[in-house]
Parts: sequence; structure tokens; C-alpha cells
Amino acid sequence: MIRFEQVAKRYPNGHVGLHELSFRVRPGEFLFVTGHSGAGKSTLLRLLLAMERPTSGKLLLAGQDLSTITNAQIPFLRRQIGVVFQNHQLLFDRTVYDNVALPLQILGLSKPEIAKRVGAALERVSLSDKAAQAPGDLSTGQQQRVGIARAIVHRPALLLADEPTGNLDPRLAAEIMGVFEDINQLGTTVLIASHDLALIARMRQRMLTLQRGRLIGDGEAA
Amino acid sequence: MSASKMPTPQPAERVGAAPRNKVVDGPADEPDFRTLLNAWLESHRASLVDSLRRLARQPIGSFFTCLVMAVALSLPMGLSLLLDNVEKLGGSWQRAAQISLFLDMSAGERDGQALREQIAAMDDVSDAEWISREQALEEFQQLSGLGQALKELPENPLPGVVLVTPKEVDKAKLEALRQRLAELPKVEQAQLDLVWVERLTAILKLGDRFVFGLSLLLILALLLVIGNTIRLHIENRRAEIEVIKLVGGTDGYVRRPFLYMGALYGFGAGIFAWLLLAFGLDWLNDAVVRLAGLYGSDFALGGVPSSDGFSLLLGAVLLGYIGAWLAVARHLNELAPR
Repeated sequence: MIRFEQVAKRYPNGHVGLHELSFRVRPGEFLFVTGHSGAGKSTLLRLLLAMERPTSGKLLLAGQDLSTITNAQIPFLRRQIGVVFQNHQLLFDRTVYDNVALPLQILGLSKPEIAKRVGAALERVSLSDKAAQAPGDLSTGQQQRVGIARAIVHRPALLLADEPTGNLDPRLAAEIMGVFEDINQLGTTVLIASHDLALIARMRQRMLTLQRGRLIGDGEAA
Repeated sequence: MSASKMPTPQPAERVGAAPRNKVVDGPADEPDFRTLLNAWLESHRASLVDSLRRLARQPIGSFFTCLVMAVALSLPMGLSLLLDNVEKLGGSWQRAAQISLFLDMSAGERDGQALREQIAAMDDVSDAEWISREQALEEFQQLSGLGQALKELPENPLPGVVLVTPKEVDKAKLEALRQRLAELPKVEQAQLDLVWVERLTAILKLGDRFVFGLSLLLILALLLVIGNTIRLHIENRRAEIEVIKLVGGTDGYVRRPFLYMGALYGFGAGIFAWLLLAFGLDWLNDAVVRLAGLYGSDFALGGVPSSDGFSLLLGAVLLGYIGAWLAVARHLNELAPR
């Protein structure tokens, strides 16, 4: 599913985001990327979302080389990825339903199909009764679950999450992780960037450890 | 690669392949053409409704933007309409470019009338008028003040004249027509006051060029106004645009609501400009009618012809659309997700 081959990212100001990173992720895998602030977790996610391009090396996402992808291809790549942000990135002038429906509207699905899928996605995150509400009326945990519903509603092959439990208390964080596990059980590859080692340890999944842009560990969280 | 807890489902082999076990329930089939077409139409409808709603949410700002655009649109259009009216006031421009055909002294009333009819039937002639030798003398006596002296002449020295009014005031065409008329039987001389025609053409060209230049300047101003307005809308919706791009929205999808917004601004401005011109000409008309009455004329300003009004409206919508397109194209690269 994902293949990093000596991928490096250097910025014009001289800062090095990633140093010759190499690893592979199989389809359907669940893994964490961890490390301190500035370790390169976000850079890694930004490369996968084609928000940035590698300076050198080869980055393959399901066989597609992201170092040579054209700007016109990027939207179609992103339609196959679900992404969850720490700050949710919700649109507060739209209802929960409209937020979750957005990827499906972009895909061009019919209204009944959108209604069906949005209903199913909200049910999966236990927010069926909040569809007509504005995200601003929800708690932080509920907002995060809306973000997850939006990320899975179009059935992506890959789900990326950047510190999805950063603002949540331990109980809510565990609940959100449970949702990710459910999604993964259904076949979606899940990659979560997090620095919450206690939470990662409880999940007992594969963990990549980054330090100053270098991969210093790859194994099951202990 | 950790293999301690690999999930059991078969992997999706490519990005875009729906996972075997669906994340959410429902068919994963690709939408067919009809569904895509309906979705495309729905997307346009939604963009239009959304743009209308956003304009309605800021009624004062939207009103003033449309008004500024309307003033810029109505200036060249109003000037053009006034020039048309001034042409009518001064009599037809064509009359100033008349060709005088002086017939030989042997041409009588019947020759003159026959020639008039022959010339009036020509494609490039608007009108032909026959002035007999007697009429010419009578007019000359009245206008020159030499009535008594002329009566003492042994015979009428003036030839019969056919006054030809061309359809178009174009120097080359007029000269060609003059030469053709000069070759007709009984025509002694064909005279065209080319200096006057040239002056007239120069005045018309100056007027046209002034209106054209003013139009260009005001179109540029309109594009700047609409571009700046759309830029502000883009700034206000930056977060939304970033999210749309992150979930796979194309540039076209991002651009669409702003193009509708530009076209709607243009539509509003076109309506306002039409109203401004209609009321403005009506307001001027009272004074013009009073002035014309003092000169014994029943001249009155014409209103805005429907065809001109609709052209104005269409042009305004197009300008709004183009202005919005340019603004979004310029800012689209800056809208990459952060």
C-alpha cells in the first residue's frame, strides 16, 4: 500500500524534515507513527497527502509515485484517502450532515446515495442523532467523531490521522481509537501519527518511531 | 514490518479500490453517466443557490458593489445613447454628405424626374431629390437677396439638380458613388463636399474612439472591482477551500461558486445600469424637450432600446464571470491546504 524508499524532505531554509526514510505498509495494516514534536510525523503525512513532494527518493502509494504526480492528479489521489486532523478541520457554517457529505458531493454521488452513506458513517461514529446540528454545538470528542465520519464516508483505502486524540481526555481517546480499530477491521489501512505512547502501547499495533526525521524504530508497541 | 496483528481481510490492491469489507454499508459501484450528470447539475444548482445566499447575507455590501459596477457600465453606454440622440437632433448625418448632380442645361423636368427615379433605386442611395431649374432660381432669389438683379437676367443661368443622399458616410464609398453618378446621362457635374465629409467622419471617429477608450478603461475598472470583491470572498472561505481540496475537490469544483458569484454581481450591476440609464435619460428628456421647443423642434430623447438593454445585461454578466475567473485563477495556487 505504502512504500518509502530513501525518501528525504529538505526545505529551502535548510531544515530537513525527513532523512532517507524507508519502510513499507501492507494493505489493511494498522500502524502508528510516533516521535517528539518536530520528529517528522506531520511531514510524513503531508507527503502521503501530496501536500508536499519528496526532495529525493521514491514514495509509492498503491503503485503511484507521489514524487512525480501531477497537480491535476492530486484531487483524484486524495479522493482515495481519508484524513482526520487534530483540530478537526470542520466547516462550522454547515451542519454535521453537510460536513460528512462533502467528499461524496465532490465524488458526484446522487442525493439518495449520499444520504445513505452519510447515515451509515454517522451511525458508525454514534452520531446519527446529531446530523442536523452545527459542529459548534458539539463537544470536542463529538467533533472529532464527525471528522472521522467525513474521513471514512467515501470508503477510502487509506485512512490517515494526525494526532486525532490530542485534545481528548483518556476515555474519549480510547473511544476514538476503538472507532479506528473498527474501521481497520473492515479492511482499511490506518496510519495514525501520535505522540501518546501510553495510548499506542494499549493498542498493541505496529509503531514507527521517528526522531529528527530519521526512522529509529519499527516494531510492535510494547 | 510488524506482522504480529495483521488484519485478516484481503487487501485493496490499489488506491481507489473499495476495501473488500466496506467501511460503511452500501454499494461501492462507480456512478454511471446519468448519475454523474445529475450530480454535476446538482453541484451547479447548489453553487448558484449558495452564491445567492451569500450575497443576500451581505445585502449592503452586495448592493454597493453592484452599484459601483452599474455606474461604470452606464457611463459608456449612456454616452453612446446620447451620441445616437445627438445625431438625430442634428438631422441625419447622411444629409451632410449629399452628392449634388448638376444636369446639363438641356435637361428638362421629365429628364430630371427619370434620373431621380433611377438613382433612388440604387442600393447605396438612401434618397434622391429633384430640383428643377425654376425651383433652383426661386430658392436662390430668396436666399441670396439678389431677387431683382436675377430677374433682369435674359434667361435662368441655373441648371437642374438632383440631390443624392447616400446610405453610408464612408469616404471611399462616397467617392465611388460620385464617380458612378457622374457617368450617368445628362449629368454635367457630380459634386461631393469631401472636406465636410472628412470632417464629419473625423468627428464620428473621434466620438467612437472616445467611447471605445472610455469603455476599455471602465471594463478594466469593472474587472478590478469584481476581482477584488471575489478575492475577499476567497479569503473569507479559505478554510473551507482548504478542506475541499484536502478531500479531493478539483480546481474546477473550488472555482465554481465564485464564478456564479461573479456572474450574479454582473447580473445585478446590469439591471442597475439599465435602470440608471432609463431613469437618467427620462430625467434629461424634460430639459431637452424644453430646449428643443425653443428652436421650434419636437425633438425628444429616446429611451434605452430593449436590444441595447439586454446586450448591457449580458455584457455585465460576462464581465462579472470573467473578473471572477481571473481572480480565482490568480489566487488558486495560494489556496493549497496548509
